[in-house]
Amino acid sequence: MKEKIVEQIENYALSKKERPKVQFAQIGVVGAGTTGQRIILMIATKGIEVIFLDLSQEKIDQTYREMAEELDSRIEHWGMTSGDKRAVLSRIKGTTEYKDFKDCDLVIESILSKVREFSVEIRKNIFKKIEEVVGRHAIIATNSTTTVITELSSELVHKDRCVSLHFSTTAPGANVVEVVRGLHTTEDICDGINKFTTLIDKIPISVDESPGLISVRLFVALIGEACDVLMEGVASKENIDLTMKNGLGLPLGPFEMADKIGLDKVVRWMDNLHKEFGDLKYKPSPLIKKLVRANRLGRKSGKGFYSYDDHGNKVIEKVKTSSCN
Amino acid sequence: MKILVLNCGSSSIKYQLFEMGEKKVMVKGIIEKIGLKGSYMEYEKEGSPEVIFEGDILDHQGGIEYILGVMISEKHGCIKNLDEINAIGHRVAHGGEKFTESVFIDSEVKKDIDKASELAPLHNPPNLKGILAMDALLPKVPQVAVFDTAFHQTMPDKAFMYAAPYTLYKKYGIRRYGFHGTSYRFVAQRACESLGVAIDSQKIVACHLGNGASITAIKHGKSVDTSMGLTPVEGLMMGTRTGDLDLGVLLFLMEKEEIGIDASRTLINKHSGMLGISGVSSDMREIEIAVEQGNERARIGLDMYAYRIKKYIGAYAAAMGGIDVLIFTGGIGENDDIVRRLATEELEYLGIVIDHTKNNGLRKREANIHADNSKVKVMVIPTDEEFVIAQDTLNIVNSL
Repeated sequence: MKEKIVEQIENYALSKKERPKVQFAQIGVVGAGTTGQRIILMIATKGIEVIFLDLSQEKIDQTYREMAEELDSRIEHWGMTSGDKRAVLSRIKGTTEYKDFKDCDLVIESILSKVREFSVEIRKNIFKKIEEVVGRHAIIATNSTTTVITELSSELVHKDRCVSLHFSTTAPGANVVEVVRGLHTTEDICDGINKFTTLIDKIPISVDESPGLISVRLFVALIGEACDVLMEGVASKENIDLTMKNGLGLPLGPFEMADKIGLDKVVRWMDNLHKEFGDLKYKPSPLIKKLVRANRLGRKSGKGFYSYDDHGNKVIEKVKTSSCN
Repeated sequence: MKILVLNCGSSSIKYQLFEMGEKKVMVKGIIEKIGLKGSYMEYEKEGSPEVIFEGDILDHQGGIEYILGVMISEKHGCIKNLDEINAIGHRVAHGGEKFTESVFIDSEVKKDIDKASELAPLHNPPNLKGILAMDALLPKVPQVAVFDTAFHQTMPDKAFMYAAPYTLYKKYGIRRYGFHGTSYRFVAQRACESLGVAIDSQKIVACHLGNGASITAIKHGKSVDTSMGLTPVEGLMMGTRTGDLDLGVLLFLMEKEEIGIDASRTLINKHSGMLGISGVSSDMREIEIAVEQGNERARIGLDMYAYRIKKYIGAYAAAMGGIDVLIFTGGIGENDDIVRRLATEELEYLGIVIDHTKNNGLRKREANIHADNSKVKVMVIPTDEEFVIAQDTLNIVNSL
């Protein structure tokens, strides 16, 4: 074999000035549920290393399996090659310990929370644990849309480093990220986040601190109204979806979209916004609550407003498209 | 005169330093994973073991600083100081319709390269980054841009236009541009030198068969048609690209498979070609082993690959009203005797007859492979695009 010598490149810089490290070379993610996994894959696909934290090794192994399945599905649908899949998975590491976030430039919290009051405390605690291990420059972000970032950062030593970073993960090809700066967030941190979003080919959408931001607040109003239309017997769910897709050009109808997001999550969003604004238009529809109680959570449980096969594809039911005949 | 040749990709920089007087490569190498974790630089100096430099390489400018830093270092260097570098030649992917030849880079040229980024969004921006980095690092050293598309700018409109609405050509510059131009210019000149004929008297069909593959009709020294188009996906079948494909197929698949633009792009660029047909590999060596072992899909792939080349040879002979020289170059063209044989089978009526004893086993070496009774000269010519870039740079700098 040909002889090769390995050396450190830093010794050969033309100028002696200290070089900055590659920023955003490693990103941390806390929580690897459905959304967490989408965020992890979104970042790793762009060539950046991701460390995710979960509760146990079993959970980590399960996350790997689920992400591998998701990538297999992308290969099946021509979105990537098996070589790409190997490269993406090699960039992802799971851990159960916060200390492994020490070299991360950005750590994103994306935990699943059931009750709002409780979740704020959990998230605050996670923020504190992250701050204990990361460097001073590191940014701490939450993917939560209905929690206020200033509240989450309130007990940190450096409150300026926090942002809310909401990735749109529901629609395929979505490339916007809602970025919310808190009361203490500095311009430097915002610049850093803009750099990061550009690095992963996303468009940062600057949003003022307000629960639900743009996407969740508008979607919640839409699904709430769609449920009312359905309950009043104005039209069938299939025809409501068809009208919104075909007539208004949405990629998915409101019920299909709710199934994709997860009905339990939709209820939590509605609950949070209802509590925050007190407006009845955000109150969770009894129709969705009924489905959630029956564990019909949407695509992930195989049933929601519609039924789904093992691959998450909608099972086509015989649809009556007109009530006039 | 010492000339540094740079080929800047989105996260890589290929480089070679030439001593033009001795026609010698002093050092060459590549930087990979710029701006990503695990970036490194490979460095090869003549007569020394290869060195891998590991560490953070933040951007193109940082990468080029390291290349220069190593070149002047005591331990691995090949020059004493940077003043020894007389000029820099850049490979630039797309020159649009503006550039018909290599040019000295001034501020106008930089603007035009930036403008052509629309047509080559993955390639032109990093090319420009390399140019700007050198502006900052060696501001007094002249720089030259050598365009991959320039050689094909001699194509007549009947060859470069697509039969899409003319207004779209005016609006977006939708037309055939072609690629591998630097390689074609080199091999066509080299073939004529070797045969002792004047290039302006010859009708040449040149096949650049590498990871990407294209074929060009060169009449009297000028490109008159080429198989790659607005993008490098058109034309011959490639390792993972479809080459020519009925547009209706793509529309049909987008609807049936419910895929958008990104997945369609991956489908035609990464899942297709030899890999997609054979299911074995995109590497021709592995395909040929699979064919020997009786793999039917690999056999179909190989037959398709060679058949498409043959079709284009016939088409280009028709376009030029004959053929005098057929050239094979690029990784597969230079090394694969099976592809060369299959692609030229039954072309005797055109005057193409291969001498199998010359063709069999010929690898990476310039040679004639036609039979004595072949009217058409068939040649294998290893390409050297970096040398052409260095040579163009030298000529332009000397004329300043």
